[in-house]
Amino acid sequence: MSTSTMTAEGAATATTAPVGAKRGGAQGRRGNIHRPERIWGRIFITPPVVGFALFALAPLLFSFYASFTHWNGLSAPLFSGTDNFRTMAADPQFWQSLGNTVFLMLGIPIGLAISLALALALNRRIPGRGAFRVIYYLPGVSSVAAISILWQWALNGDFGLLNQLLGMVGIEGPNWLAEKAWVKPALIIMGVWKGIGFSTLLYLAALQSVPRNLLEAAMLDGAGAWRRFLHVTAPMLSPVTFFLVVTGIIGGAQMFAEINIMTPTGGPEFGSATIVWYIWQQGFQNLKLGYATAMSLVLGLMIFVVTAIQFYLNSRNVFTVE
Amino acid sequence: MQSADPNVLTFMFRGSTEERDVFSRAVDLFQEREGIQVNIISTSADQYATKLQTAILGNRAPDVFYFDAARATAYMTNGVLADISPYVESTSLPVDDIWPDGLDLYRFDGDRRGQGPIYGMPKDLGPFSFGYNKTLFEEMGVEPPDPDVPLDWDQFLERCAQLTGDRAGSGQTDTWGTSVNVGAEIHAYMWSNGADWLDEELRTVTVDTPEFAEALQYIVDLREVHGVTPSINDTEGLDGYQRWLRGQIGFFPVAPWDLTLYRTLDFEFDLCPYPVGATGKPATTIGSLGIGVSANSSKPDLAAELAMFLACDPEAQAIIVGEGQTIPNTRSHAAEWVKDTSVEPQNKQEYIDIVEDYGRFVPDMLTYTPEWIHAFHTNLQPVLEGRRDVVEYLGETQRTMQGFLDGGHEQFRIDQEANS
Repeated sequence: MSTSTMTAEGAATATTAPVGAKRGGAQGRRGNIHRPERIWGRIFITPPVVGFALFALAPLLFSFYASFTHWNGLSAPLFSGTDNFRTMAADPQFWQSLGNTVFLMLGIPIGLAISLALALALNRRIPGRGAFRVIYYLPGVSSVAAISILWQWALNGDFGLLNQLLGMVGIEGPNWLAEKAWVKPALIIMGVWKGIGFSTLLYLAALQSVPRNLLEAAMLDGAGAWRRFLHVTAPMLSPVTFFLVVTGIIGGAQMFAEINIMTPTGGPEFGSATIVWYIWQQGFQNLKLGYATAMSLVLGLMIFVVTAIQFYLNSRNVFTVE
Repeated sequence: MQSADPNVLTFMFRGSTEERDVFSRAVDLFQEREGIQVNIISTSADQYATKLQTAILGNRAPDVFYFDAARATAYMTNGVLADISPYVESTSLPVDDIWPDGLDLYRFDGDRRGQGPIYGMPKDLGPFSFGYNKTLFEEMGVEPPDPDVPLDWDQFLERCAQLTGDRAGSGQTDTWGTSVNVGAEIHAYMWSNGADWLDEELRTVTVDTPEFAEALQYIVDLREVHGVTPSINDTEGLDGYQRWLRGQIGFFPVAPWDLTLYRTLDFEFDLCPYPVGATGKPATTIGSLGIGVSANSSKPDLAAELAMFLACDPEAQAIIVGEGQTIPNTRSHAAEWVKDTSVEPQNKQEYIDIVEDYGRFVPDMLTYTPEWIHAFHTNLQPVLEGRRDVVEYLGETQRTMQGFLDGGHEQFRIDQEANS
């Protein structure tokens, strides 16, 4: 017994010692084996890290400093404390352009609703659905400049396509881009049209990944089409909706090219000036790069806060296939 | 953007494809004459300002470049432009023959424009003349304007009313007396009525005067009361410029840079003075673009020579003016040019009269930033549509404009101190 015990203990001890020795050896070997990988890994990640540091982090830090300076872009920045931020708080055009930007984001829910309806339609076996998918996606891959010029004509008050269509049903269309009340709705219509293809495509992909067994189970439980959509399909689409809302808000906050081409002076009574257009105007037209940088910083902060709130709300509501 | 090679200059400029071709040929001549190489960077007009600003920001301004006269004070104050006075004094090129107002526009004594050292050459002077469609006048049986005696506002309105009508017999108005682009033309009406944007010191906005209000009201009434210009809807369909090109407008601006296109149109045109308000004297704007030398250029002598060459060398000017994009930059060349009756307009003397007599620079070319004048136009639309009272608008907008003008002066003061 004792021998066997001893043997067992000895064996155990004997086993333990070599195992420990073995583990150390394996670790060492594993370390040696993975060392070149670690080195190569570091070499591979160096370019993006350096790129990020040089082209994103350094400019960000500099812009943080520049936002506290009087800087005209022609000579060195001069520290001016919080002047730019106080100017911003009292600048009616800053607030108006910010308000315009938020107003134009009304296009996001409108676009999502239309995209979802289209995706649901295209998810059915309707003739020519492949062609429809291409047609809806075309604006998404077209140049913003070309689209803006196209819509400038389409929104023309006299012979624009939109007013001609309205005229067919007896409605006299407004002078879209020349009237303060209509310039923002006009830009929303264009934005929805442009973004619809991309959103529809994502919704379509999400619809096709909704597990059929869930829908069948709901059907067996007696759920009708509407309840299946409401309680099965819609929750399964929420990650896509979340993605589209987040990217839509970030993109919407940076709207510039359309405004600069369609309403190069900021629209009637500054009615279509977006915040990024105003930043560009102040920085490059009025030689106030310090002020423009301060506004950019505030805009970046606003986007960050809104996105963080969205992530927080989403973390409590999101559904996944898993 | 500058080359380290002492025999290579970099020249950045902008313009239409035709303009770029013309200036490239003039630069070729300079290269041949000086035996050096000039690298050309040219862009379209809408990209130019941002591209130049970025180059300056990166301390990579080209040796020689065009610059907007409205940016000149800022460029001079912040050491972007080189003082080329020593080269101007020693050159053999006929710089003295350049229009004096053009040269003075690029002088700066550290405080005021128009006096002191020279920081640039005028690429050109652009007299913004009024003109008329001779063919339409004949068709409508309207007496053409006298090239030497300007119409007063009442006479002008009368002619416009005679020109407005249904030429095609379609039941709709298809010809109009004029079409006023307020941004470009308000100066002519307002100045000739004795008003101005700013006081002489360029420190106070003076748009809230009865003379200014009367001029603006006159422009508004041309459309809203008298209907002698296309309506808002008409201009949204085809703007005044496009309707002029189609021969539907009687009176319209005819600037030198338009001549190449206008000569291809189906109607004949000529120049006349703008109608006159209370002063009885016509007025209009003179535009200009500068050619400057970078303060960082390692070859300022060669760079200044190129700038002066483009501005006044007779052979270079023959190439540039020959294409009809600009009037001659030198007085002696202009004296010969006006005699040429082989191409339109016949009354080229009007351009010379504007430059020598009644043309003015818009004061946003002289102030530190042009933001104050932009503020005038931001909320103007309801006024032009007759939905807002002119006097009330001018009173309110004067305060806004004054705020921007004061802000520009403050910016100027800070930059002066920083660069002194």
